[in-house]
Amino acid sequence: MDTLRLYGRSMTMLIKSQLQYPVSFLMQTLAQLVMEGGEMLAVILLIDRFDRLNQWGPGDLYFFFGLMSVSFYLTEIFGRGITGNFPYLVRSGQLDTILLRPRGILTQVLCSAADPRRITCIAVGVVSMVIGSNLSAIAWTPVKVLLLAEAIFCSGWLLMGLFMIEAVMCIHSVKSIEITNAITYGGRSACEYPSDIYPRWLRMMFTVIAPFALVMHVPASMILEKPLFGWPVWAAFLTPLSGAAVFGIMYLLFRKAMKYYRSTGS
Amino acid sequence: MSYIFVDHLCKSFVVRKKREKGALLREKETVHALKDVSFEIEKGELVGYIGPNGAGKSTTVKILSGILVPESGTVTVGGRVPWENRKEHVSHIGVVFGQRTQLWWDVPLLDSYSLLKDIYRVPEADYQKRLKELTEALQLGDLLRTPLRLLSLGQRMRAELCGSLLHSPELLFLDEPTIGLDAVSKLALRDFLHWENKEKGTTILLTTHDMEDIAALCSRVMVIGHGSKLYDGGLQEMLSKYDTKRTVQVEEHQNIDHVIAAMYKDLGL
Repeated sequence: MDTLRLYGRSMTMLIKSQLQYPVSFLMQTLAQLVMEGGEMLAVILLIDRFDRLNQWGPGDLYFFFGLMSVSFYLTEIFGRGITGNFPYLVRSGQLDTILLRPRGILTQVLCSAADPRRITCIAVGVVSMVIGSNLSAIAWTPVKVLLLAEAIFCSGWLLMGLFMIEAVMCIHSVKSIEITNAITYGGRSACEYPSDIYPRWLRMMFTVIAPFALVMHVPASMILEKPLFGWPVWAAFLTPLSGAAVFGIMYLLFRKAMKYYRSTGS
Repeated sequence: MSYIFVDHLCKSFVVRKKREKGALLREKETVHALKDVSFEIEKGELVGYIGPNGAGKSTTVKILSGILVPESGTVTVGGRVPWENRKEHVSHIGVVFGQRTQLWWDVPLLDSYSLLKDIYRVPEADYQKRLKELTEALQLGDLLRTPLRLLSLGQRMRAELCGSLLHSPELLFLDEPTIGLDAVSKLALRDFLHWENKEKGTTILLTTHDMEDIAALCSRVMVIGHGSKLYDGGLQEMLSKYDTKRTVQVEEHQNIDHVIAAMYKDLGL
């Protein structure tokens, strides 16, 4: 509880500091809108050209895209400490300052950054999901709302887990930005579309290594009533937990890396 | 046992050299940052810790504050082993790095302090009392509503000191606190450190290259070089021992840097 309060206060302060430069904040927020709008344009053009991809109609595709945008950018706003700041903290030695305070390391990393500019990206995602919901005529039920909430929540953990790979490698002084970007940003771009449209090896990668398919696509397909792999509802509730599992694994690796950091130093 | 107890402390780093042409693997080199360093510091002492760049000062401070784990040797601070229970240990110490800020750049100092209060779980009443005391002693009253980025270097150092002392630590590490400060700021900072040490009984370990700092503040000096402790004792004794040029007692300290340089040379640093 105490930790949540600290996190809340840090977030408020970080957002306050960003608003110290109102014009810059506004411009960057608009720039984000253009960027994410461009991404959505790609989906619109694709749908304009092809009526469907496998069994997925236009509404379904908008829905998948929107789900990824909302999940990814919510993580960017509230988990920026991990998705953006972490490797910098390691390289610049700011991690030392964190070690000097009587709080958990990861708590402090999460408290170190926020990126409210992404709010416009989330708006694009929400619009896309609403369009998708209407076109596909989703009949919303409490179960479906719960599934959606779980999918978004677990995607956050999955994304933070994947971004932690870079931080952990940084501690071992390995520069690996390209490799990790391939699964984080690459994963985001690829998994804006349902994973069953991809060849087998890519599908495997996004199911086993970076399980976007399990965290987002399985529950989303259930909401659209076209369950992926024909799995039942309980499976759709179960598979997103793999996102939390990825985070858990990365957390353990991070703790191990911190031991190494403390015995070698910077 | 003394408040800070360091016995046969060793620490080395493996440095990977740049790969040479034709070589398959990069050569590794072990740098011994600390070789068998021992010392004791009593509670309430104000000790100067000096030595040329790369002598091992920061490594010692990092080990004492629990950031690094040594290879061998015994270290206790107030009965605690620094690296074993990090959270417990760091809530009793304060650290100021002269070149690195611990406060938030774009928000008023007061907001930073209030967040530090939450981080250290300082009770509200204690916090208010301590903040008042520190802002008076450090003359920060007018600056509390100013964002850190608008402060001058001297003001920023005072602000940092205040931030690192809000939780009333028993022990304060200062890593080159007067670097880049003008004469007035330096004097004010020294007065404050003197006050904090005398009035609050805070143990202070000060690393610096500024000999004036040492002369003004510390009765005891430790000199480290090449990872070994070379001298430990009173400042006056050290000066008279290494002041080879003059036989007169050093009264004015304008030549103190020369004396130190002579000493480093003498010790083969």
